[in-house]
Amino acid sequence: MTLLLAGLALIFAGGLSAVIARRSAAAAMVAFQAFVVAGCALGIVAAANVLVSGTPVAMTIPASIPGGAWYFGVDALSAVFLIVILGVGAACAVFGTHDLARESRSPAIAQLAFTALVVSIAFVVTAGSVVGFLGAWEIMAISSYVLIVTHHEAADVRRAGLIYLVATHTATLALFAMFAAWAGDAPDWSFAALAAAAPGLDPRVVTAILLLALVGFGFKAGCVPFHFWLAPAHAAAPSHVSALMSGIVIKTGIYGLLRVLLLLGGAPAWWGWTVFFVGIASGILGVLWALAQHDYKRLLAYHSVENIGIILMGIGIGSLGVSHHAPVVAIVGFAGGLLHTVNHALFKSLLFLGAGSVYRATGTRNMEALGGLARRIPLTWLGFVVGAAAIIGVPPFNGFVSEWIVYQGMFAGADSGPALRMALVGLPALALIGALALACFAKVSGVIFLGTARSARGEDAREGPGAYVPILSLAAACVALGLAPAAGLALVRTAAGQLAGTPTDEMPAAVLAGATTLSLVGGVTILLVGVLWAARALASRRRAARPEVTWACGYLAVSPRMQYTASSFAAPLIATFGALSGVRTERAPAALHTRAADLVLDGAALPVWHFLHRFAVRLHAAQHGRLHVYLLYVMAALLAMLAYLALGVRP
Amino acid sequence: MTLSPVVALLLLGVGAPLIPGITTRTKAVFAGRRGAPVWQLYADLWKLWRRGLVYSTTTTWVFRLAPVILAATTLVAAALLPLDGSTAILAFAGDAVAFVYLLALGRFVLVLASLDTGSSFEGMGASREVAFASIAEVGLFVTIAGLAIASHSLSLTLMLGGGAPQATGRVPASAVLFAVSVFGLALAECSRVPVDDPATHLELTMVHEVMVLDNSGPDLALILYSSALKLGLFAAIILAILFPGARGSAWLSLGVLLSGFVVMGVAVGVVESMIARLRLPRVALYLAGASALALFGLILELQ
Repeated sequence: MTLLLAGLALIFAGGLSAVIARRSAAAAMVAFQAFVVAGCALGIVAAANVLVSGTPVAMTIPASIPGGAWYFGVDALSAVFLIVILGVGAACAVFGTHDLARESRSPAIAQLAFTALVVSIAFVVTAGSVVGFLGAWEIMAISSYVLIVTHHEAADVRRAGLIYLVATHTATLALFAMFAAWAGDAPDWSFAALAAAAPGLDPRVVTAILLLALVGFGFKAGCVPFHFWLAPAHAAAPSHVSALMSGIVIKTGIYGLLRVLLLLGGAPAWWGWTVFFVGIASGILGVLWALAQHDYKRLLAYHSVENIGIILMGIGIGSLGVSHHAPVVAIVGFAGGLLHTVNHALFKSLLFLGAGSVYRATGTRNMEALGGLARRIPLTWLGFVVGAAAIIGVPPFNGFVSEWIVYQGMFAGADSGPALRMALVGLPALALIGALALACFAKVSGVIFLGTARSARGEDAREGPGAYVPILSLAAACVALGLAPAAGLALVRTAAGQLAGTPTDEMPAAVLAGATTLSLVGGVTILLVGVLWAARALASRRRAARPEVTWACGYLAVSPRMQYTASSFAAPLIATFGALSGVRTERAPAALHTRAADLVLDGAALPVWHFLHRFAVRLHAAQHGRLHVYLLYVMAALLAMLAYLALGVRP
Repeated sequence: MTLSPVVALLLLGVGAPLIPGITTRTKAVFAGRRGAPVWQLYADLWKLWRRGLVYSTTTTWVFRLAPVILAATTLVAAALLPLDGSTAILAFAGDAVAFVYLLALGRFVLVLASLDTGSSFEGMGASREVAFASIAEVGLFVTIAGLAIASHSLSLTLMLGGGAPQATGRVPASAVLFAVSVFGLALAECSRVPVDDPATHLELTMVHEVMVLDNSGPDLALILYSSALKLGLFAAIILAILFPGARGSAWLSLGVLLSGFVVMGVAVGVVESMIARLRLPRVALYLAGASALALFGLILELQ
């Protein structure tokens, strides 16, 4: 625990050093990077230690402030999240410093907010009491707001920040209500006391807790229909912040759901089914909306909605396994959800850093203006294509491994008896998600990086400084976890067992053996690629490959504008899914514009917001600044409370 | 004694190019022509393999790597199928998922390679390919779900091999529905009529063929070979859905697999001779129909 705290202190010291040394940009950058990377490394060692030794650590800070003493602790679940948070955090920190130094007017503040964000997330996943948890949660929300509005000169950035702020505080409100309902009868506000109180809770209170958890943590995780803040916020934030938000911050919602499940000791079946079907809806709609985007950062944001969906499918199955006393189903489901959380953090931050590198090189987020960047920024392309292969879930990359486990969890559930048969729906649903993700990443990779440039942007593109190490190390992690699925399973196994309420031996031997065989499948595939490559080289050794222009069916005046665009590439699928895809078409004489609307933001969230706003404006009449009337309000309120007590309404 | 899975894989590797040849011959017979010999594809592959390579100046390493990855993933996917009727070379829990996703990797790199050329025609083909495959994969997974529930396993060896419940000799109605559905989807996955017409001469109407316009020499050979291999894979799957289990003797298994290839080739040829390809907007409907058949099979399984 001391090691972890020392690490977190070092990370924050990195932020402070950036503020102290702000006069010298170079010194601030070096100090920031050194402190943050060292702190993250220390924290990872501390968390890994907990996983390897198998004994949770904890500490108590005695205090009389509301809620009593503060508890912090690292168990297997916290450790998994800590390792990912600090690993991805370090990569994003190294990548981001250069952008901030160049573009932001106050890089020091952004650096400080960044470290505050990383440290507060670490505290969210280690907090052992309500006050500590909500405090860290709020610091996390505020510091990510500060980071989102880094470029607050632009109106759309401020709007995105506002939407984020409203969404995150709606979530916090739900969490306050949840803990209040729960802690009402507990002796203090520690998680241990909540867990002890859980068996004695009224079933209606449990229902309320689970629904509020789904809303509160669902907003943070960004599952449908609470996802609407994600796309604007991720598009507006600097890329390394988007990477951290998408890779890590939204995962705190997943952590929260799992922690609540752990403290409650399981949830009734209806909740498991709700999470499972919310997962399916998020997965399919997320990827469908991603297909419709022209802005590659918004596209990646919608893919976070999709992947949160896959994670929730795993968690839903795990929870159903617990409520139906099927330990194998529970442990496989939770292991799949947890491992996908880890994997998504790796490949999504990799993709966002790649997107950041593209933005640095070209200055536009509109992919229709790009093309052919693979030649100009080859390293970014390599990282991006590895991330793309990982996110669409093909072997031998890490995304496949966790999806493969989620498939097995769903099948194990369906096979365990008629009660869980419905889980079969998840098989074709996950297949659809995977296939649509393939279409979407073929589009974004192909349009940005391949072919020829569609505009003058990016003609002198170069790989930015500080991009190599973060992108290559994240890509290496994606490949390593894909080639050695057993390592990924080992990482999440204890936590999955804890959530399933069973010893880790319940992990079926078939899954473990399959993970080992998958290494073989990956190895054989790579070997075969090598053999075929050599055979082809042998076959054509006499003749050098002849360079030619691309065949255009005899047409000679080919221009880059004739290439297929992102919109045309996605058109057949968008047409198949119709209005669900959210694409609005506006026709004008000799022009046609398509716009990708967010069905929930434009259809529900904003109308509700405007209604509330009109209602609030009417209340202005009561707020006029006359002091004596205000005193009258106070008197009236006091009288009303007295009357409430005197009439004995309270039992 | 049963045929070893390695020999069965070799048979698939060597025999698969027969299938398109048989299809072409069948179509010729329907049209009243004599047609090319059934081993025409072997000759084509050999010719292409010795030819030089032409690479568009627009392309990058993706274009050079894609045909190799396509062939490798198709071969590794074949190693996950119980081709000899009883067991696969690589069998593990959930290998059915790995099978579909390995084929998806091959498709992904081929699509990237076609976008690498910067050709509008190839972009068009790629767009159609991913759109159709998205729907076809759903149908395929409905069949996988049905077979998995019937055999209590998500491993192809148990779903389609000697341990499969339908290996008792009696073919259940659900198996027929699954087989018809997989055949319908295989026509899409392997780019045949009614989804795609390999014999068309107009680039605007092509799907798969137009994606590989710029591939030449050994690269084109690898792509053509992978297409034939994929037809062989689906032939073996349909065969195993209808008649799973070992076939008595090694020679018999060999014969059964070979005749499966022949039947697949003839069936594809008959379909291509009798119906025209669908208009592109209708393809989604066709694929949904094929998936619905599998869904009926799944419902029967759940009874």
